[in-house]
Amino acid sequence: MRTILILIKKEFLQVFRNPLLLSILVVAPMVEFMIFPFCADYEIKVLNIAFIDNDRSQISKDIIHSFNSSEIFVSKGLLTSKKDADEKMKHDKIDLLVEFPSHFEEALYKNEPTVIAVTANAINSVKAGISTGYVQEIIGGYMQDFAAAHTPSNMSAAMAQQASMQSNNASFSQGEERRRSNSTTVMPEQTITPPMPIHISISNIYWYNEQMNYKNLIVPGILVILVTLIGCYVTALNLVREKEIGTIEQVNVTPIRRWQFLLGKMIPFWLLGMAEFGAGLIIMKFVFGISVQGSLPLLLGITAIYLLVMLGLGFFISSVSENQLQSMFIVLFLFIVFVLLSGVFTPTEGMPGWAHKINYLNPMSFYIEVIKKIILKGSEFESVMKETIVLSVMAVIINTGAVLSYREASK
Amino acid sequence: MYSIEANQLTKKFGDFTAVDHICFEVREGEIFGFLGANGAGKTTAIKMMSGLLLPTSGTATIAGYDILTQSKLIKRNIGYMSQKFSLYGDLTVFENMQLFGTIYKIPRKELKERIMDSLRELEMDAQANTLVDSIPLGWKQKLAFATAILHRPKIVFLDEPTSGVDPIVRREFWKLIYQAASKGVTILVTTHYMDEAEYCNRISIMAEGQIKLIGTPEELKMQMGVDTINDVFVKFVKR
Repeated sequence: MRTILILIKKEFLQVFRNPLLLSILVVAPMVEFMIFPFCADYEIKVLNIAFIDNDRSQISKDIIHSFNSSEIFVSKGLLTSKKDADEKMKHDKIDLLVEFPSHFEEALYKNEPTVIAVTANAINSVKAGISTGYVQEIIGGYMQDFAAAHTPSNMSAAMAQQASMQSNNASFSQGEERRRSNSTTVMPEQTITPPMPIHISISNIYWYNEQMNYKNLIVPGILVILVTLIGCYVTALNLVREKEIGTIEQVNVTPIRRWQFLLGKMIPFWLLGMAEFGAGLIIMKFVFGISVQGSLPLLLGITAIYLLVMLGLGFFISSVSENQLQSMFIVLFLFIVFVLLSGVFTPTEGMPGWAHKINYLNPMSFYIEVIKKIILKGSEFESVMKETIVLSVMAVIINTGAVLSYREASK
Repeated sequence: MYSIEANQLTKKFGDFTAVDHICFEVREGEIFGFLGANGAGKTTAIKMMSGLLLPTSGTATIAGYDILTQSKLIKRNIGYMSQKFSLYGDLTVFENMQLFGTIYKIPRKELKERIMDSLRELEMDAQANTLVDSIPLGWKQKLAFATAILHRPKIVFLDEPTSGVDPIVRREFWKLIYQAASKGVTILVTTHYMDEAEYCNRISIMAEGQIKLIGTPEELKMQMGVDTINDVFVKFVKR
């Protein structure tokens, strides 16, 4: 016990005497918090839209007019040809093109199917997906009014039953993002058949993130990155540094036990990681106004387990590497894979099956689930039990691996 | 009774044999010198005897304990000073000694006394709270030695303890070695300095992983018909 205590003291002394490490621990997370949430913002504020009207009817004019009343759309007027539109889109003058077919109005009155073509610039596929959604909403809204005004009264009873169908998008990532994966070509054409004459109103309610605020997604993600960096990066560099400067040899000739030595290293960084996480939660609340919806002790408990996984991984990498450079590269590689697969910044739903399988090995993907559930949804233990169990098993395996590999390395 | 007994001790790294079936004994309280060119296998031999490396074959007993099966007991009874300075540079003199003293389970109060005594002997008590990184190399080496014997080991392994330090510090360092030896500590020391070899009770000269010559400095000089160990070494290398 005394041995472990003196090792913890030693580690803390070293951390606080190392200006570089201190700045990694303090400055880097703060900067990340201050910059990331404002940059990683997928919100759409302005959409430039143009129209090709081959019908030139009252209805087409009315629809075009209804776009003007929206705050998001900025009308770039009527274009005469597809070629013209193509040119404008290439130069980013317009984001969207809405094209009315000839005899559009006629078809509507005759109750025949007709098609409005919406073309979106899908270089930014997220934006394209969301913006075509907005277009649908506006045209749909118009068609509804039109249908209400022109439907024979005997049909209205049948339609009333279907009248209020709500599509509740449980979270941003399920509704909006699924569409994204469907439209990855540069200029996909989306066709809209006016929902004539059936009267369906679709109202979107975004649960857990009602304002569709991206910071709600990004900020907890940064919290995850923070904990991962402290846990994995700092420890991966720590042990191998002792190898480099040779101090580990002096420790290895003493009768100290390997687990004692590793524990003496783990506890300080575990405490530091928890402190960072706590600081992150405070920033999250007071700077971004996101408070933890669920149980704080539960959140801290699972974070503690996740940190153990990352510390163990860090030490494992450290003991199989020859020098700090090597372990830095390994951590960097793993870190990027973890982040991209985890769903911290991109949703996992659209990923192919093999990526999902790899994700079963990715501790970050389980942890981000927990973070989202507890912080944003306020979930109870039952709904994060699976993640907790998986992370605990990972912690045991990776730490056993770390102790064993450290023993191997010192022979 | 012998403090160190090596029996056919061998270490191979792949095809390369770093230490090749060496046999020797060191008596209690003896200062035993390990001489040899770079790459002769001295460091590898020391690492095996101090439990940092496992031998490929053969064995040795250190303070009566077998290196293959009783390495834990050996570690408690030896001190070790590596070729590379390996105390923590970002800890103070006192913190370093406290760290290692605690690992060897020296009781808290006694540890403090021992550290202060030892620093007084080194005339370094004023530097107790100085970061190790900021003291001169010669002092660092003396400090490393004092730390290595803080837990009063029976045997101390010193791997080129005086490389890179000036002649005055070297002489002081050897004073420390003699002091320890006079208290019955067995010392095994490797060196490149032939004048230092003269200070040893017995020496061995290693080449290609084997012990080629072994005996007291006087015996070796007589055997080779020369006046100094330096000449012994030069003549041996030419042979």
